[in-house]
Amino acid sequence: MVKEIERVGIPVVHICTVVPISLTVGANRIVPAIAIPHPLGNPVKTMEEEKQLRREIVLKSLKALQTEVHGQTVFDK
Amino acid sequence: MRLELGKIFIKNIEFGGQTKVENGTLYVNKDELLQEIGGDSRLTKIELDIAKPGEETRIMPVKDVIEPRVKVEGPGGIFPGVLSKVDVVGSGKTNVLKGAAVVTTGKIVGFQEGIIDMSGPGADYTPFSKTNNLVIVCTPIENLQQHEHEHAVRMVGLKAAAYLGEAGKNVKPDEVKVYETLPFVEGLKMYPELPRVAYVYMLQTQGLLHDTYVYGVDAKRIVPTLMYPTEMMDGAILSGNCVSACDKNPTYNHVNNPVIEDLYERHGVDFNFVGVIITNENVTLMDKERSSNWTAKLAEYLNLDAVIISEEGFGNPDTDLMMNCKKITAKGIKTVLITDEYAGRDGASQSLADADKAADAVVTGGNANEVIELPAMKKVIGYLEPADIIAGGFDGSLRPDGSIVAELQVITGATSEIGFNKLSATQY
Repeated sequence: MVKEIERVGIPVVHICTVVPISLTVGANRIVPAIAIPHPLGNPVKTMEEEKQLRREIVLKSLKALQTEVHGQTVFDK
Repeated sequence: MRLELGKIFIKNIEFGGQTKVENGTLYVNKDELLQEIGGDSRLTKIELDIAKPGEETRIMPVKDVIEPRVKVEGPGGIFPGVLSKVDVVGSGKTNVLKGAAVVTTGKIVGFQEGIIDMSGPGADYTPFSKTNNLVIVCTPIENLQQHEHEHAVRMVGLKAAAYLGEAGKNVKPDEVKVYETLPFVEGLKMYPELPRVAYVYMLQTQGLLHDTYVYGVDAKRIVPTLMYPTEMMDGAILSGNCVSACDKNPTYNHVNNPVIEDLYERHGVDFNFVGVIITNENVTLMDKERSSNWTAKLAEYLNLDAVIISEEGFGNPDTDLMMNCKKITAKGIKTVLITDEYAGRDGASQSLADADKAADAVVTGGNANEVIELPAMKKVIGYLEPADIIAGGFDGSLRPDGSIVAELQVITGATSEIGFNKLSATQY
């Protein structure tokens, strides 16, 4: 899906837990997620902490979308 | 560590007055067995049945298959840390009722349990159509949480296998096989001219009913470690999986791992079988990185020339497999991988979710997406209805006449990634 959307000229950020798979399939902007069963949350944290976690991932993704890349880039900082 | 495995060949199983082995028949006292495995308040009913090779019987949904074994001499007992104390097992003498198995079934726990057909085309796809099966049907109380349900059924299966195993304690085995692995330095000196080979044994630990236990420890909480290969033969590793049946290792397979068996076969002849590195398949990237770093570190530490790596399951564990392969190869150690494939019904899609150039020697257990037809059986132990919802099934899998059309995934043990079945592929 990532590749098909990019093919028509729309940049994509792939939020993904298993970054190596995302690299293998050819995503260009990759933002690491939390875990496979809960990519954007963490059941051991409180609701407030989870919301903060989600916000950080979304903000990082929006920033990645605006960042020019030359080849596959993992935004893991 | 040295283990004498005494095989008592079981050719038939019957209910009888006394639980015993006589002339290759395992007689089971129903009441005594029920007494042994009963008492869990999470289960309302436990029923026993028998399924023999060649019968027109379908068992589903199957949770686990367990081989009856008993410790005859040496420290510890079968299934250490779960049924027995946590002594280190794998030495002394163990007897096994070869040809018998305990199969647990009953109301579906999760969404991905398997099918065993005792005859017909389905029987060819599972090793457990060839065993004499004591089948246990467990009915849980209403609204029991899935993980509690899985635990209750798992314990019933293990206890039943241990109970049946006891019947072989004082029986003279038909065949005795000796397995021995020396401590590191002695092993190193033993065959200095032979290549040093170890087995990297990946265990399914994704959680949510994808679990494996090592001496009672949930393997998602371990870091990769070393084991003597004979420890597995006494049940040090057991299954807590209620997931895609074709390529998860039932407890039966963990005690009968063909990779270990075959490595022993050629130990001291073609290579020096050093031991087993167990590792897990967790759900965060950091866990995957840590565990694969550690398998590579241990492989280097053991001064290995080559490893065999087996996967359990598919999808994101393909990445664990590739990480193990890549990092161990980078240490200058040769790797061979064993996996299975999800290449689509026509076999034309990419087989694994991840790939790497270092993976240049790969053995497959077959394509789990292959569609198969299973004719109706005269007898069903368990329930047919889950056929539409287990992994590999789809809306309409169960036909009105009781036949099933589904992907090979539904068959217990069909595409075993430790080679505990007959399916594979060859490239010409």
